[in-house]
Amino acid sequence: MTGKYFGQPVLRLEDKHLLTGRAKFCDDIVIPGMLHAAFLRSDYAHAIIKNIDVTEARKHPGVVAVYTAEDMGDYWKLGPLQVPPPFAIKGAQFNARTLPPIAKGKVRFSGEPIAVVIAESRYIAEDACEDIIFDAEPLPAVIDLEKAWEDTSVLVHDDLPSNMAALVKQESGDYEAAKKQADVVVSHRYVADHVAGAAMENRGFVVNWDERTQEMTVWAGTQAPLPLRSAIAGRMGLVENQVRVITPYIGGGFGPKVMTSQADDVLLPWISMKLNRPIKWIEDRRENFLATTSERDQVHHCEMALKNDGTILGFKDIFYHNTGAYDPYGMTVPLNTQTHTVSNYRVPNFYTEIRMVFTNEMVVTPVRGAGRSEGVFVMERMMDLAARELKMDPVEIRLKNLLKKEEFPLNTGVIGQDFVVGVLDSGDYKNNLEKCIQMIDYEKFRNEIQPKARKEGKHLGIGVVTFTEGTAVGPYEGARVTVGNNGKVSVATGYSTQGQGHFTVFAQIVAEQLNVKVEDVRVITGDTGHFHWGAGTFASRGATIAGSAINSAAVLVREKIFATAAKLLDVPEDQVELCEGSVCVKGHPEKSVSLGDLAGKANPMRGAVEADVKPGLEATAYYAPPHGATGSGACAMIVDVDPETCKVNIERFVLVHDCGTVINPLLLEGQIQGGVSMGIGNAFYEKMVYDENGQLMTASFMDYLMPQATDMPKRMEIGHNVHPSPLNTLGLKGVGEAGALPPPPAFCQAVEDALYEYDLDLTESNLNPSLLYKFKNEATKR
Amino acid sequence: MAQLIKIKVTVNDTVYEREVEPRLLLSDFIRHELGLFGTHVGCEHGMCGACTILFDGEPVRSCLIFAVQANGHEIKTVESLGTPEHLHPLQEAFNEKHGLQCGFCTPGILMTVVPFLEENPHPSEDEIREAIDGNICRCTGYEKIIESVQAASEKMSSGK
Amino acid sequence: MNVEGEYIFNGPQQAVYEMFNDPTALATAVPGMQKMVQVDETHYEGAIFLRIGPISAAFEGVLSLTDVNPPESCTLNIEGKGKAGFAKGVGRVKFTDIGNNQTKLNYSGEVNIGGTLASVGQRMIDSVAKSMIKSGCEKLQKTLEERCQQK
Repeated sequence: MTGKYFGQPVLRLEDKHLLTGRAKFCDDIVIPGMLHAAFLRSDYAHAIIKNIDVTEARKHPGVVAVYTAEDMGDYWKLGPLQVPPPFAIKGAQFNARTLPPIAKGKVRFSGEPIAVVIAESRYIAEDACEDIIFDAEPLPAVIDLEKAWEDTSVLVHDDLPSNMAALVKQESGDYEAAKKQADVVVSHRYVADHVAGAAMENRGFVVNWDERTQEMTVWAGTQAPLPLRSAIAGRMGLVENQVRVITPYIGGGFGPKVMTSQADDVLLPWISMKLNRPIKWIEDRRENFLATTSERDQVHHCEMALKNDGTILGFKDIFYHNTGAYDPYGMTVPLNTQTHTVSNYRVPNFYTEIRMVFTNEMVVTPVRGAGRSEGVFVMERMMDLAARELKMDPVEIRLKNLLKKEEFPLNTGVIGQDFVVGVLDSGDYKNNLEKCIQMIDYEKFRNEIQPKARKEGKHLGIGVVTFTEGTAVGPYEGARVTVGNNGKVSVATGYSTQGQGHFTVFAQIVAEQLNVKVEDVRVITGDTGHFHWGAGTFASRGATIAGSAINSAAVLVREKIFATAAKLLDVPEDQVELCEGSVCVKGHPEKSVSLGDLAGKANPMRGAVEADVKPGLEATAYYAPPHGATGSGACAMIVDVDPETCKVNIERFVLVHDCGTVINPLLLEGQIQGGVSMGIGNAFYEKMVYDENGQLMTASFMDYLMPQATDMPKRMEIGHNVHPSPLNTLGLKGVGEAGALPPPPAFCQAVEDALYEYDLDLTESNLNPSLLYKFKNEATKR
Repeated sequence: MAQLIKIKVTVNDTVYEREVEPRLLLSDFIRHELGLFGTHVGCEHGMCGACTILFDGEPVRSCLIFAVQANGHEIKTVESLGTPEHLHPLQEAFNEKHGLQCGFCTPGILMTVVPFLEENPHPSEDEIREAIDGNICRCTGYEKIIESVQAASEKMSSGK
Repeated sequence: MNVEGEYIFNGPQQAVYEMFNDPTALATAVPGMQKMVQVDETHYEGAIFLRIGPISAAFEGVLSLTDVNPPESCTLNIEGKGKAGFAKGVGRVKFTDIGNNQTKLNYSGEVNIGGTLASVGQRMIDSVAKSMIKSGCEKLQKTLEERCQQK
């Protein structure tokens, strides 16, 4: 589906301001009289707080106030459960332990805030943090996921009998019975390690309580402006229209910015009101690593039962998921993992169990790929294991088991992060894979390139995997479309944007419906003063959920344009049409009225207006899907491994993707490429490492390796399949996280294939040269 | 209050005289003293490259330099390139090739590429990759940044 | 983090052992040590200024001696705290007479660090510890030579 604007590679409208340094980010906001906040954070991962002496800090010149939990009185309350547990899953157990605004009694992870200093400048605030004497009695830290689950473990929350945060079992068919029928059963343990969202802009929060208007304005780099607005209003005892949350330009989200109960969210509005002064807090990189949320970190124990011909009979997965010290975001991440292990292959019998554990580490919430990445990793690794056991080609075993397009819509039997049973809506998974191996020339590589390279002593290997991406989940999003008196169109949505290009794609949707120029559509995202309903940016849902709402609103406006114009031009409604920027009578272009004039007519200032007519050329609409739309794809890479240094070069990279209808092919490529770079980063560069005492050893870009330009494959060859989703009018599915999912398992498979002389068994999703070297040394030489 | 030091710095052809604390970072000076917010701070330890500016024509990380060290020197920031109405050819190329997403790292990348293209007007893809290797971008996967720089080199050498 | 190694002193076992129990000798030997005061027979309080990669910060702490077994061995316990984090270490030191008026020092210990020190400085701490021990031992060797000459 392509139109004049929809489906076209329209250049981004937001670029000009970003490219010239004129775009306003959170730290660019300056308010007269503004104070600055700095947090003192715990050095200990687990300790009993004995005393926090802030006397000297309060005396520090330039310091206005210092607060600890003790100073907060009744305002100190445990944070909200931002995402509740899925009540739809029978027998699901969940222990809610939400975030304290600031530590009281005990610290549970290194980096947990223990005091906040408000000063005339950030430099002074940080100086004064050093004047605070924090006396604590260290306790042993809970770090190892499997040990944490045991009854003998030290407890993160003393009031719980164990470190169990959640226990969820989901099954379909009868795995144990299927196992008895199987010709082979393979089993293995896999680790999907901890990674950071690491947006280039850290978090930021500016708040201004205006005592005279009794209104609070917050500028925050948040993915969830409306939940944040409601949370602040609730905590402060204000009604919603007293709090306005504005998202300025945001330097990347990737998940962690969805939180609404971090220390800054809770404390700074309260302090701003107390001091009657505006306050700014800008997170630094170390704080971002230590205390903003991160993700992955699971240990899986998998088992797969198969027939000799490679047909899967059943799959079993018991996995430990680290939720960190608290679990304010419910079970979103491990539920995503559960959904994605059994979503692209036919698995008639399965049993999957989440064991979510509390540890003395930072809180775990979604990061691009959220849970899906781990699910895809273990399932793809199990397919490789099975292929090896059955001496089958990795592609062959996948083709045998992939779901067929005729099977859709298909009920997966697993309740996901949106609390409804997953339904795979559409796609052609087999064709994704076939197209992928064709693009990378799989046969030629196997039969010519690889044998020749091996003769020359080169270690080339290929990896081919498939994946699905559950996207575009509910609950809903909404938007309002208005034609202005100058004929330009404004769009307001509660959805917030962090660089995805929403200002452009949303404008394309509206421009198509109203036949106006794309640059004449001005989009406002994430400003609760402009639109006050919405859930937030997560689960690759922007283009689909907010986009569908915007499309519906634009359709309503178009209808209103036709009705109003027909009346004005005195012709039947079916006789008018949209010319660019105006409405004219079909066949009589001279009989027309501009959209601007029509907008004025639709809002008469005098005279009688019919009772049920709403003013203006304006409409508001919402979109709520019955369940998520599922994107799909396949990925292949060819690697060149140096067995001595274990350096790996990705020689070729192919990804075939199906996200339904494409709104903007240029931006779609950008989304996929960005996701892929994160996936490659996860596969071979990035890893958050905690030592046994709960100290984060990788709290800077010196130790946490972000993929750089020279780490990327020369070209990401991207193929598209388009199977529109039947769930929404436009046929959209999400794509934001797709690229991040397949690289780790494809990388492992390719490296194993390259180092063919070794019986290499890569069981971790986050490798690096030294870890690969270790795996290689532990492997037996064939 | 720490002792203040008088400095005179030329930024984007304007001379600024200010009294600053010796420990004030050049990045903070540019942003918060001069109000030139186009220079972004991503890590404050010299690794991400978002705060890259030109210091006497050389690309440097303004978070690793104190404002007092800039005394008597000439600085250029992203604001010295084009305006939204009249983009610099390099900025045009980034728009046309979708070389940015969130745009936070972009000013640092532009300020790294400007002197690079002056020195090497017809770079190969590998040379571009090397040139921007010290600038971290989380959004794009770099491919379209490289295409943007290639397109810019063509634009700039053909004088468009 | 584990540290272990050995160093050969040119001097008799007893003299080496005594030197290791002498706060003044230790204070001058440890790079960056600003003070070392004896509190009681086995406890010393000290202050040290450390440079580890991007971190340079002052630490205050207590050094105590346990398992004292002159002149063969003792255990050094260090607990330090500063603005850049904290460190806690246990080191077992053993002195063996290897003839020729030489004494071999064997040390092995475990150090736990926290805070900025761990999250930013840990990459360097291994080599910093090694170089501090090495230069410390070299300084102690000089002290030892001076002491032996005086006797």
